[in-house]
Amino acid sequence: MQFDLIRRDRASISMALLAPLLALLATGLVSWAIFAAIGTPAGLALWTMAASPFTNWYDFSEVLLKMAPLLLIAQGLAIGFRARVFNIGAEGQLILGAIFASALPVWFPGATSPLLWPAMMVAGMAGGAFWAGIAAFWRTRLNANEILVTLMLSLIAVQVLNWLLLGPWKDPAGFNFPQTAMFQAQALLPGLLPGTRVNIALLFASVASVAAYILMQRGVAGYRLVVTGTAPRAAGYAGFSAARGVWLSLLISGAAAGLAGAAEVAGPLGQLQRSVSQGYGFAAIIVAYLGGLHPLGIVVSSLVMSALYIGGDNAAVFADLPQAAVRVVQGLLLTFYLIAATLVRYRIVRARVAPA
Amino acid sequence: MTQTRRAFLGTASAAGLASALPLKLSAQDALQMALVTPSPTADVGWSHTLVEGASAAAEAVGGELSVLENIAEGPDADRIMQRAAANGAGFVILGSFGYMNGGLQLAQRYPQVSVLHASGYQVAPNFSPFAAKYYQGTYLMGMAAAALSKSGKIGSVSAFAIPELITSVNAFALGAQAINPEIEVSVVWVNSWFDPASEREAAQALISQGCDVMFSNAQDTPSVIALAEEAGVYACNLNSSMQSYAPNYYLGVVGTDWAPFFTAQARAHLEGTFEGANYYLGIADEVVYVDDWNGDIPSEVMGRIDDRLAAIGAGEFNPFTGPLVDQAGETRIPEGTTMTDQEIQGMDWHVAGVTTPLPS
Repeated sequence: MQFDLIRRDRASISMALLAPLLALLATGLVSWAIFAAIGTPAGLALWTMAASPFTNWYDFSEVLLKMAPLLLIAQGLAIGFRARVFNIGAEGQLILGAIFASALPVWFPGATSPLLWPAMMVAGMAGGAFWAGIAAFWRTRLNANEILVTLMLSLIAVQVLNWLLLGPWKDPAGFNFPQTAMFQAQALLPGLLPGTRVNIALLFASVASVAAYILMQRGVAGYRLVVTGTAPRAAGYAGFSAARGVWLSLLISGAAAGLAGAAEVAGPLGQLQRSVSQGYGFAAIIVAYLGGLHPLGIVVSSLVMSALYIGGDNAAVFADLPQAAVRVVQGLLLTFYLIAATLVRYRIVRARVAPA
Repeated sequence: MTQTRRAFLGTASAAGLASALPLKLSAQDALQMALVTPSPTADVGWSHTLVEGASAAAEAVGGELSVLENIAEGPDADRIMQRAAANGAGFVILGSFGYMNGGLQLAQRYPQVSVLHASGYQVAPNFSPFAAKYYQGTYLMGMAAAALSKSGKIGSVSAFAIPELITSVNAFALGAQAINPEIEVSVVWVNSWFDPASEREAAQALISQGCDVMFSNAQDTPSVIALAEEAGVYACNLNSSMQSYAPNYYLGVVGTDWAPFFTAQARAHLEGTFEGANYYLGIADEVVYVDDWNGDIPSEVMGRIDDRLAAIGAGEFNPFTGPLVDQAGETRIPEGTTMTDQEIQGMDWHVAGVTTPLPS
């Protein structure tokens, strides 16, 4: 028996809005079954995951802290994804951004200028854009697939980071451990909410969201970008340059990821170390698609994703849930959402077998 | 403990909302212990020995242990240990160097919580670093390795070029030289505690360079040991026995047993006598042990190993006693001088006989 997906004549708007909720519900049900099967208190674990990030100020502030890099990177990636430029290497661009930003406090440990952290942010954006620009260069020159190039550049970025931390940038007083010295106060981002770790990176992410909204939903430039990706020949007839679209997509998403990396080292880390990323570059891909590649949707999905991380960590502490189970829940959420989103636009029809 | 949590939540949130948060409640007097580890708790390796030691300590003092495994170093680990303390954990064991800065902040914020931190160098009144004198055991393992090596080349797959592991390689080389002065030790640093694929590749590369004994230096996976068995070369490792992965070619283990230390520290915490100090523990402290020796080791060498073991345990012999020459041929430690614990814990150079330069 065969099934076909037939595009619906008209996608229902109410179903489109309901789809994420149904995906959440299905995720909850399957997770509950899995938790029960591995012998953790399933109800407690699920409740902790879902509710604890929102029921007290400390956890919610941590949600906001984690949301900032996810939101920033996802907004950048979504612009490219809508133009059919698939930058999968935000992880590497984030690392390069962190490296470029760290260069300033590492080279000038005595610098006390109040312009130090702003300069680090600019350097971080340059670093991320540079790394993504390599992929744009090969894509436009040799038509090299940007998915592969950006992904493999991420692996190179990790090795560059290792080399710096084990070699020239190693903290001389750090017993050979692979990390830089702690940065001076002027290299750290100002806090945003007193008593928490939330810093002004959240403002950067908010500004990026507004900018993405204006560019993609209101501006001609965004429209051109989308057309170059979705209808390259039509774009050509209209005089829109496809190469320009590739460059713009990769530079924007690279700069956003680089800024996120800079904000991590100048934020909760306070130094450059091996685990600078925590996987934000890859998680942001999920965030971008969960948000429907729409600037407003991404604001919501980054909040949900971040809450899921914090809730998952809390479930590990309070309900002895293994970390791997948290990842399973995130995977389930994306899978169910993609299924739901597909069914909003398509219906399943049993394929008619032609009579022999 | 409950007091702590209330105080924390009271300041952190509206009390009404906070009381909705489901917290794991338990008997008020049982000590809540938390162990944070960087890798998944497997059947073998570093995290495994920490879990065993912490479980034994929890049992001995009637405490309750939660194991928070596979926690990446960085902001997430900082938050998770804060949550554990806010949830009432009074005794926290941090199983990786990378938790140091977050752990110090934790110790500052919760002065009544006692923190043990693996492999670090910072001390606070309620924050003690602890580390194993692996070098005492690897010296003995090096003697056995040299006795079984035909090519005179030994390979080590090593995790990070930190003093703890630099010294374990150095002592291994010194022990090997005690049997065969011409022996050479090559090192591949894989820059990970847990990366089976890279570890296997590194071991493969060393074997193809002619190394016929492998020293798996602080891997949390048995990948090097399993590959050695396939390739028919002897192999030894740190922390816990991996003999079952190499029934024929397992050379032996430099093991660690944290139960006595963790138990003593947990007791001290309960009695209010916990004090921040640097604990560097070895064979005499019954933390480091050697076991599962291969039957192929000649009995003459085994006798010498036993003598050395007894001498190290009695404090009569230290592998890091001069003359020690570095890779450039320069005498670093003159004859008759023994390196202090502090010098050993900061050692950032290889002894002659280790052929691979240190990454710098």
